[in-house]
Amino acid sequence: MALSGMRGLSVFISDIRNCQNKEQERLRVDKELGNIRTRFKNEKGLSHYEKKKYVWKMLYIYMLGYDVDFGHSEAVSLISAPKYPEKQVGYIVTSCLLNENHDFLRMVINTVRNDIIGRNETFQCLALTMVGNIGGKEFSESLAPDVQRLLISSSCRPVVRKKAALCLLRLYRKNPDVVNVDGWADRMAQLLDERDLGVLTAVMSLFVSLVSNNAEVYWNCLPKCVRILERLARNQDVPPEYTYYGIPSPWLQVKTMRALQYFPTIEDPSARRALFEVLQRILMGTDVVKNVNKNNASHAVLFEALALVMHLDAEKEMMTQCVALLGKFIAVREPNIRYLGLENMTRMLLVTDVQDIIKRHQAQIITSLKDPDISIRRRALDLLYGMCDVTNAKDIVEELLQYLNTAEFAMREELSLKAAILAEKFAPDLSWYVDVILQLIDKAGDFVSDDIWYRVVQFVTNNDDLQPYAALKAREYLDKPAPHETMVKISAYLLGEYGHLLAQRPGCSPKELFLLLNEKIPTVATNTIAILLSSYAKILMHTQPPDPELQEQILIIFRKYESYIDVEIQQRAVEYFELSKKGPALADILAEMPKFPERQSALLRKAEDAEVDTAEQSAIKLRSQQQSSTALVVSSDPHPPNGAVPLTPQLSLVRVPSQTVEEVDHEIATENGLAVIPESKVEPEQVQPEPEPVAAPIQPEHVPVPVNTEPVPAKPPPSAGDLLVDLLGPLMIEGPPAPTGPEAPPSGPHVPPVQATPVAAVSERNLNQGLDLGQELAGALAITTLEDQANSIQPVVNLAEKFHLLCLKDSGVLYEDPYIQIGVKAEWRAHHGRLVLFLGNKNTAPLASVQALILPPAHLQIELSSVPDAIPPRAQVQCPLEVINLRASRDVAVLDFSYKFGTAVVNAKLRLPAVLNKFLQPIALTPEEFFPQWKALAGPPLKLQEVVRGVKPMPLHEMANLFMSLHLAVTPGLDANPNNLVACATFYSETTRAMLCLVRIETDPSDRTQLRMTLASGDPSLTFELKEFIKEHLISIPMAVPSSPVARPVGPAPVQPQSPQTPSRYNDPGAMLAGLL
Amino acid sequence: MIRAVMVISTQGKPRLLKFYEFQPPEKQQEIVRYVYGALSGRPENVSNFVDADSIFGQGTRLVYKHMATLYIVFAFDSSENELAMLDLIQVFVQTLDKCFKNVCELDIIFNFNKLHTILDEMILGGQVIETNSDQILKHVDDIARIEKSSSTTSLVPKSISARFGR
Repeated sequence: MALSGMRGLSVFISDIRNCQNKEQERLRVDKELGNIRTRFKNEKGLSHYEKKKYVWKMLYIYMLGYDVDFGHSEAVSLISAPKYPEKQVGYIVTSCLLNENHDFLRMVINTVRNDIIGRNETFQCLALTMVGNIGGKEFSESLAPDVQRLLISSSCRPVVRKKAALCLLRLYRKNPDVVNVDGWADRMAQLLDERDLGVLTAVMSLFVSLVSNNAEVYWNCLPKCVRILERLARNQDVPPEYTYYGIPSPWLQVKTMRALQYFPTIEDPSARRALFEVLQRILMGTDVVKNVNKNNASHAVLFEALALVMHLDAEKEMMTQCVALLGKFIAVREPNIRYLGLENMTRMLLVTDVQDIIKRHQAQIITSLKDPDISIRRRALDLLYGMCDVTNAKDIVEELLQYLNTAEFAMREELSLKAAILAEKFAPDLSWYVDVILQLIDKAGDFVSDDIWYRVVQFVTNNDDLQPYAALKAREYLDKPAPHETMVKISAYLLGEYGHLLAQRPGCSPKELFLLLNEKIPTVATNTIAILLSSYAKILMHTQPPDPELQEQILIIFRKYESYIDVEIQQRAVEYFELSKKGPALADILAEMPKFPERQSALLRKAEDAEVDTAEQSAIKLRSQQQSSTALVVSSDPHPPNGAVPLTPQLSLVRVPSQTVEEVDHEIATENGLAVIPESKVEPEQVQPEPEPVAAPIQPEHVPVPVNTEPVPAKPPPSAGDLLVDLLGPLMIEGPPAPTGPEAPPSGPHVPPVQATPVAAVSERNLNQGLDLGQELAGALAITTLEDQANSIQPVVNLAEKFHLLCLKDSGVLYEDPYIQIGVKAEWRAHHGRLVLFLGNKNTAPLASVQALILPPAHLQIELSSVPDAIPPRAQVQCPLEVINLRASRDVAVLDFSYKFGTAVVNAKLRLPAVLNKFLQPIALTPEEFFPQWKALAGPPLKLQEVVRGVKPMPLHEMANLFMSLHLAVTPGLDANPNNLVACATFYSETTRAMLCLVRIETDPSDRTQLRMTLASGDPSLTFELKEFIKEHLISIPMAVPSSPVARPVGPAPVQPQSPQTPSRYNDPGAMLAGLL
Repeated sequence: MIRAVMVISTQGKPRLLKFYEFQPPEKQQEIVRYVYGALSGRPENVSNFVDADSIFGQGTRLVYKHMATLYIVFAFDSSENELAMLDLIQVFVQTLDKCFKNVCELDIIFNFNKLHTILDEMILGGQVIETNSDQILKHVDDIARIEKSSSTTSLVPKSISARFGR
């Protein structure tokens, strides 16, 4: 029975309590579930009492988080039990365990109906409660008329009627047709005449729901609501049991006022007068008292009254009163009142004329931005955001920037986004705007999306006065230690374009600017390198008279990057190298960027769209409209919720199917009498040099310059991609803008030649190089294959398996064949690693022409000390290797090793075990440390989740061991579910420094081949890479397939999704080779 | 509407869970962890409100009271008044206090079934149904009386009931 104890249940609960750990608890639960299952199987010997006891146990187990997948029919069948105690348990447990669509509910629908229409009041209550809690379409269809009848019946007691009212509300939510609108307006009016406050409270809840969907039908109910409010506010005829801390049912008062907020206005003068009198009384008569509970209750009423006053747009006097009250609230110590004060003030911003009064409280609101309570800080941020305009933008944004220094992770993103939006919307002058964005990038670069810095570039380009200032600022930020990558991008752009305006200043000579920028190039991503190269070209062009030394330095860089793995970079390097020989013509080609056409800020558009979305999602239309329009100060022109459309046109240029581009290219190239660009030159995705005339007809609005670059391989989001093209395209080779461009530099009749020259030069060169590269690659492949076929010397160990083992431990054999054995021993400290290769000659003859070459992936810096040319007989040579991890990546470094034995040349390409997990350090976290972190990393891209299938089945402890050997500390006790596994580690790299990684694995005990993995860290690419890395280790281990150095199973993982953040695999020599292996 | 009523210990263990919109067990546990994570990090003397948009959806909030070793938490959407929800928690606490005479965590652990009965008298389908703790207790007592009068089976020794069952 529910209320008197059940010994078996108590014993079970105390057994669970006595369990020392989760594992014990699980064993105890499993035992109990087994027991229940057997008892339920031979139901004959089961008494109702026992059945009831077991069903309660099931509910308890269910609450602990274990899936209870049987026994539902027993729980449901208790509903049909004749005796009350069993029936009660049946109803309660059923409403907890089953969802509304569960088949078993159909089985009892008749019993439930009989209970509802029966004479037993307690049975009626049970049935109504369950139906009200579960809802469900079928219940709705078959029971609604009966429930309605109970609600309006005069013979039913209040206790039944109020349950019927709420039950009907639930059924109405599922199926609005159950309440017939025409008939119900009058019926509702009658119901609102109810004297019993308990029934009236329930009826009012129902009424709120009805009126929120269709207020017009219920006009006749409006005066009744006012009367109810009057009755309560004047405390007329309110029985003591409905008085809470001396206040006549605050819940009913609140509900009534909420219902009134759904009527657009109140026209009836007498009702309006009466209502305002009541509201006035509430506003004036609420004092702050000592008793917290009384205070809460009275303020619940007061805040609802405030909301109603705002909604009714009362007389100015009353509004002023409200603002004054709110001003008082946001300054009180009581945190709840302050919280609601801030929130309601934000809502109040809707009402015109109060903005100025609210601004008087700005200092107070800013104090709340420093409150210890994050809930209050969020409300303060919303309010500051809402109240910001041109007059106070400077102060508010500066406060937000200052707060950014100390704000916790959970708020930083929102904070920086809001600061950026406000800075753009209300900037009193553009230099201030530039300042703010640069500060934002400096303080929270991770949260500054590309749109934001593109916008800065647009402003700076379009405003000549701003250019020297912006360049100088960029120069200053670049001086700081370890600037954010976004800072490098924007600075490189600004200094390339406008650095020459600073030439007179100390430390700003072209050479100094170049050196400053070039310091960053080893550590930045591919798309940043692209910008840097363009910058160098611009610097070179601006250096007049030419500085031969600087030119030499820059040309060396271009030369170096001509053979860079990324095609885009290659192309730029080649083109800039060629262009730099053009002398004065260079100035024409690389002329300053033309002004951008005016366009709407992508950021602001996004902000608006987000707000529109919010409005649509919200359940209560009216209130959410209020809320969104408060936040939506932007709303000058409404936009469709799908903001993608306006951006796409700019994209069309680069999205033309490659085939067409090539054809067009071809055509134009031939027209101009140029060499046809061979198809093999670039990947089809790479946009080819595209002469301007093609661009113009497709996209007249587009900046009139040739777009011959698309640095998107590393940038999948289309909106970012197209913007990038917008910006970088022109930067690349500044063909003179099309005749349409007003800023077209003087070019005259020789336009086509100038335009054509670089393209011709480049395509020629690219042609050669492309072919060379292709040949080289093909050659390399062919040679290896050939060699392998001819190669009689095969490794005597399974290389994939050895590599895999070395991933998990730090010393072992990497490679062995009849003549040589290569062993590895490694030590790892933070992001540094030291590997020693032991090359052991197994023969009595020397090994000659020994060569070892490291092909490091982009994320590793590897230095191999010199390898001796020959290894004497029976000798072992040690070759130390220094590794520095720059950032997270799964790409693998490859050791290209070869030697000669007699006439046979042996070549092997070996993956080096300098893999992701080596830079992890296990760390054990306490729940107090773990959960805030876990929570703070709320969602993608910092926290990723994936259901992994095809997992190699292994018991949980084995999986825990695997994690341990991957340097992930498995921490028991963090997860309540014994089938789950939580592990933590610190990842070290030069860019991320120490970064905490949290992993959670949820296994399915019934299916060991699948699991759900959640991974969180403070760096999106780390999260992604580590997730994939772990997945590779979980899915399968390399099979023991006899392998040759080439024909070897590829990576251990069958699937290798591309990281969205990191450059594609082919960018990376190591990765490329690892793929080939 | 009220989306959920949760009693969670300060160790993060669920003591009572009642959802007014069905949640599958995994989601329930995720919610418990989320709520515990959100609450355990909060200092004393701060507001009783926490945003819950990321777990219960747009516009939802938590209101909670921290009593000794327990968090009593209601999750609700924008159709409810925040302070009225806080009042309702107070009513719940008062009711428990009266029912168990100075309620402590152990009472709640061992009488979780009784808590369900109390809650059903207070909230139905996510809407408040009774706000007076004495009234709630009266209904609960009524139920107890009906149980007693009809629960003769439990007084019959097991062996006999088993024989009757055959």
